[in-house]
Amino acid sequence: MSDERDSLSPTKIGLGVLWPAFWTALPIKLAFALVFLAMDMMHFEGRLGLGFLMFLASPVTVFATPIITMGLESHIGEGAGIALLFLLCIPIDIWALGVVGRTYFLEKFRKEPPDGLGVTLWWKCAVVGAVFLPLLWFIVGTVTSMSISMAHSVFEMELFKGIPVAERISAELSLWGGVSVTVLIVLLLIGVSLIGRMIRSTSETARPVADSYQHVVTRWDLMRVPDDQGLMLTALTLGGVVLSMLFWAGLPVTTPHPHECCKKPEVKAEPPFKPLEALNKDEKLIAQLEGQIDALEKQKAEAEKDKDKGKGKKAASAPEAPAPKKP
Amino acid sequence: MEHSTPSSQPTVIEKVIAFVDERVGLKQMQAKMLNEPVPGGSRWAYVFGSVLLFIFIMQAVTGILLMFYYVPTADHAYASTQYIIHDVDYGWFLLSYHFWGSTAMVVCVFAHMSQVFLWGAYKPPREMIWLVGLALFGIVMGFGFTGYLLPWDQRAYWATTVGVEIMDKTPIVGDFMARFLKGGPTPGQMTLSRFFVIHVMILPAALMGLAGLHLFLFRAAGPAGPFRGTAEEIKAKTDFFFPRQIWKDIVGMAVVFASICALAFWEPVVLLEEATPDPGDYHPEPEWYFLFLFQLLRLKIFAGEFGQFLGAIALPGAFMALLAALPFIDRDPERNIFKRPVALIGWIVVMVSILLFTMSAIINREFLD
Repeated sequence: MSDERDSLSPTKIGLGVLWPAFWTALPIKLAFALVFLAMDMMHFEGRLGLGFLMFLASPVTVFATPIITMGLESHIGEGAGIALLFLLCIPIDIWALGVVGRTYFLEKFRKEPPDGLGVTLWWKCAVVGAVFLPLLWFIVGTVTSMSISMAHSVFEMELFKGIPVAERISAELSLWGGVSVTVLIVLLLIGVSLIGRMIRSTSETARPVADSYQHVVTRWDLMRVPDDQGLMLTALTLGGVVLSMLFWAGLPVTTPHPHECCKKPEVKAEPPFKPLEALNKDEKLIAQLEGQIDALEKQKAEAEKDKDKGKGKKAASAPEAPAPKKP
Repeated sequence: MEHSTPSSQPTVIEKVIAFVDERVGLKQMQAKMLNEPVPGGSRWAYVFGSVLLFIFIMQAVTGILLMFYYVPTADHAYASTQYIIHDVDYGWFLLSYHFWGSTAMVVCVFAHMSQVFLWGAYKPPREMIWLVGLALFGIVMGFGFTGYLLPWDQRAYWATTVGVEIMDKTPIVGDFMARFLKGGPTPGQMTLSRFFVIHVMILPAALMGLAGLHLFLFRAAGPAGPFRGTAEEIKAKTDFFFPRQIWKDIVGMAVVFASICALAFWEPVVLLEEATPDPGDYHPEPEWYFLFLFQLLRLKIFAGEFGQFLGAIALPGAFMALLAALPFIDRDPERNIFKRPVALIGWIVVMVSILLFTMSAIINREFLD
């Protein structure tokens, strides 16, 4: 058993701590992410998968993401929610690394976990990530674009001109995908091994555990049981209720992406009906119209008078009409 | 003389529980369900079965809510789906959740089957669990296929047309199955009615029955446990199903729920134009989990009548037959995947091929567009 502990490779140690720590913290981070998404505070466009990976691995990507975003002009999405979520991830990750790290120290190293292990592991992981991940991003990006153009130029050669489209697509993808995935895996293993070395160096100063294996198992089991279970349950329930209410309050009632056929016409709200104002307004309007009618009637009467006067004058001055001839 | 204090008096709830317990053995049932020993202790790798059950329940709930508004007729299916998306309060979210839930179900079925395969948990005495699991896999695929037609837009219509044409190539029963599903020369009202009935009545009933049988067989055989570790280690870590495995299952369900919601926000369901027998500019293709097969059929080796039969029916059929026969072919009791190189390499080859052809199909779509 002791030989097995000594022979643990740095990659194994790194994976043994990082992998469970990522998944331990994820449910809490996802709850916040969901609320921010419902409240329209984050947009991932076509990069939801990348965003998920960044949040999953936030102990190592917390400083690396802004560096990649600013330095390498590549971003995972938009919105203030992304930065806020990364900030919220810090205490969650410290807790998750602490829980997982203590278990790992007891089970695999058989050493007493030092105080503040979560914080120690978190800042060391974050620093390694901040240096290593932008490098990985740059190398993998360069290798991928180079291998895509190389694969493309290979299949442009006369020898391969006759290859049908479907076969060509799969062959090209295998070529450049194989190269970039290999580079990515190798670099990831190097990164994990760096973190493994860092964890091992932290464990070197720790005291060895004297308990039997059964006792060690019981200890790490009990470490995960909260001291005050009632308080923990109440806090979790309250947190869940608050987040659920925020979620439903932020969630749009109708689709944020309407189809061309079903776009709703813009409807202007009618002003509220005030009976007294409406009556006064109508009375004024009626009075005004009455005035107009009176004026029109007067005008008409005057016009008729003028017409009659005109007729009288005409009748007096005009010669008498000839009498009809009798047959 | 004894004085009973108020606290010793059973409450109404306790009385009701005692009443039911006396008649159906509630406490014994509860103890049997929660105190199942998990060899080697709880693990995240064991959550997929419970997560699948959770997804199915959520699919049933969202499906029932959608049925309040959906009209399964060729002249109203499209309009009623648009009504759900544009007019029903939170209807867009319900539909998008249901859509992405089906994707999550396929992903989790793949993950669950992979876990069972890699852990060697299909080996004796768990052969029957594996066989029922394969039937459940078929049902999940059937759910995806039949549900895809229901919105009655161009995507739905043509994906179904392609799927039924592939089915038509099956020897002996293919022609009958294709005619039965279509109910006419081209997809229409009869097709929609039949797909709807299969989707909301036949498949849920079959899934519930088989899932119950799957659970019963699992409880009868017991969990397989880890494939590594000494007997002392496994014994020291052995734990009951409650509370640790249940806690992990709940966390798994929460993660899946949140992921489906996030996908519903990221890519909510947006319909194409209403289904017509003219594809126009649309390039017909099936749902993403059948894309690898669709791309495979584009290869020249699978051209022509025989080639299409080979790629669409013979190869997938042979693969499924191999999976069904696996517990009877692989008689070696060794479960450690790192000591089963053929199984490990085989799994990697299958996964890489599915990934490669799915990505090729996506690139091919961009090429066609």
